[in-house]
Amino acid sequence: MEAIRNALDFSDFPRIDRMVALAVVLLLVTFPLFPHSAFAMATMIQFLMFSLYGMGWNTIGGYGGQVDLGKAQYVGIGAYTTTVCLLRWDIPFWVSMPLGACLSIGWSFIIGYPLFQLKGHYFAIATIATSLVLKDIFEVWKFVGAARGLGILPFKYQTPDFLRLIFKEDVYYYYTIFGLFIIGLLYMNWFRKSRLGFQLRSIKDNEEVARSLGINVHWAKIKTYAIATAFVSVVGSFHAVYVKNIEPEDTMSLDISILIALMAMLGGAGSLWGPIIGAGVLIPLKSYLKEWLGAAAGLVGIDLILYGLIIMIISAFEPRGLWGIVEKIRRRKRI
Amino acid sequence: MALLEVHNLVKAFGGLKANDDVSFTVDQGELLGLIGPNGAGKTTLFNCIAGMFPPTSGRIVFAGEDVTALGAPEMARRGLARTFQVYVAAGDLNVLENVMVGCFMHTRSQSKARALAEGILDDIGLRDLKLNLVSELPVAAQKRVTMATALATSPRLLLLDEVAAGLNPSEIEDIMAGIRHIHADLGITVMLIEHVMELVMNVSQRVIVLDYGKKIAEGPPRDVARNPVVIKAYLGERYVRERKVSSDGDRHEHHGRADS
Repeated sequence: MEAIRNALDFSDFPRIDRMVALAVVLLLVTFPLFPHSAFAMATMIQFLMFSLYGMGWNTIGGYGGQVDLGKAQYVGIGAYTTTVCLLRWDIPFWVSMPLGACLSIGWSFIIGYPLFQLKGHYFAIATIATSLVLKDIFEVWKFVGAARGLGILPFKYQTPDFLRLIFKEDVYYYYTIFGLFIIGLLYMNWFRKSRLGFQLRSIKDNEEVARSLGINVHWAKIKTYAIATAFVSVVGSFHAVYVKNIEPEDTMSLDISILIALMAMLGGAGSLWGPIIGAGVLIPLKSYLKEWLGAAAGLVGIDLILYGLIIMIISAFEPRGLWGIVEKIRRRKRI
Repeated sequence: MALLEVHNLVKAFGGLKANDDVSFTVDQGELLGLIGPNGAGKTTLFNCIAGMFPPTSGRIVFAGEDVTALGAPEMARRGLARTFQVYVAAGDLNVLENVMVGCFMHTRSQSKARALAEGILDDIGLRDLKLNLVSELPVAAQKRVTMATALATSPRLLLLDEVAAGLNPSEIEDIMAGIRHIHADLGITVMLIEHVMELVMNVSQRVIVLDYGKKIAEGPPRDVARNPVVIKAYLGERYVRERKVSSDGDRHEHHGRADS
């Protein structure tokens, strides 16, 4: 009961934050009613997906301070579970999505145990390695289509198919991911105030102190890593039915991992709004850059240069991202 | 009744023995001081007791149970809390949240943890600072926050590591009153490391002295302060001699300079 109340309670934010958040939610609800291009719709869906990825990453990476650059492997596990289940056994999305999340969590416990023996940069590098190893396995694994991946043929299904989540119009996908987005946001609002949330922030502050306060640091990290993983895996499953064509390269590559981390890092790691702000800035930027500079002017890879630049600027000037700047200004005003 | 028993504790880092065959007990309800020159192994001893790292050999018994092999989180759950000499607060948590982390050891409920933490902050006199980041606070307030956070785990034994270091005389008075309050009113057994002699000698019921990892003296503060072995450890051989001469002769104390 208290958990639900906490999830719905945003009262510790200033009034202005709540007003802006409410306005954004209303805007998101009504967006499909306004005239829009297919491109804008696709960008909005990407924005919601990456907000969710970012929220997941923010648990372990933001609140816990463990820079994880291997989240793409769980996009892959989620996406492949859903696709394989649908193609081979005609298992609907609402079954394969939790199944994928369970597989992801299982895998995260297996690799999380050794991963969290490492700290700082060593941990970050090791997460990259685990993700790339899994990608390499999928690239030669015939059962899942090897490097060519798997495709869902939409005309085989009677659309709109709410069980398998196969639609012709993007608006259905939009509202599905919007629903997940709201659930994710409420979960995060609970998480940041929960015991685990507090323990993680204490761990980020100082692990020795955290240990002396009765916190099992290793286990707290592994648990949180599993939560982050579940978020990413669920969105990965959604990605599979939305894009309908998955291959190891576009689900499990390093770019995806970095992009996921970048949402929260740019927006504000360790804050509730951070990943949403980050995705709100980065995803439109990425889509339009790719569309205009990438495709039109032939500057392929311009978006990757941009990510690199952003990481450098954040780590040099404001480790707490855009939200960190807002909080700094507020703090100065108060004092 | 002994709350903590340390038997022949040795902690070696490579060839260096930071603690060498240290034995002592802390009784329930006692206020015990631990002193010694820099590098004597005081903090190492705290770290061993608190389970931050395992001792090389020896035995630690807490509340009648052998806890030698237990880690820091298990020790905290059994009722042992500690403060840290250098408290590095990266600045993510404010004072109230810091104390709540300690409270969360006994409850999952956020509202319960908050109520407990606010009670402790009122008690320690930090109520007005509860929304400040720890990193913004002056040293004296930071030290009180570390004490409040340790208290939040509702310990039976509290280890205080140099809570008065870097404070001015009036702040030391405050911290001294705080320690007395924790000991007398809250009924918590306290063991403290301190370089500020005024504080140790005033509040401790008994003092243990370490030098080069070995226990060299133990007893009431008065006796320890007069013990030639302790004076030698702190000031050097010369001062023991001078003190003897002066007390034998004209009963006037010399304040000799080490380089003369």
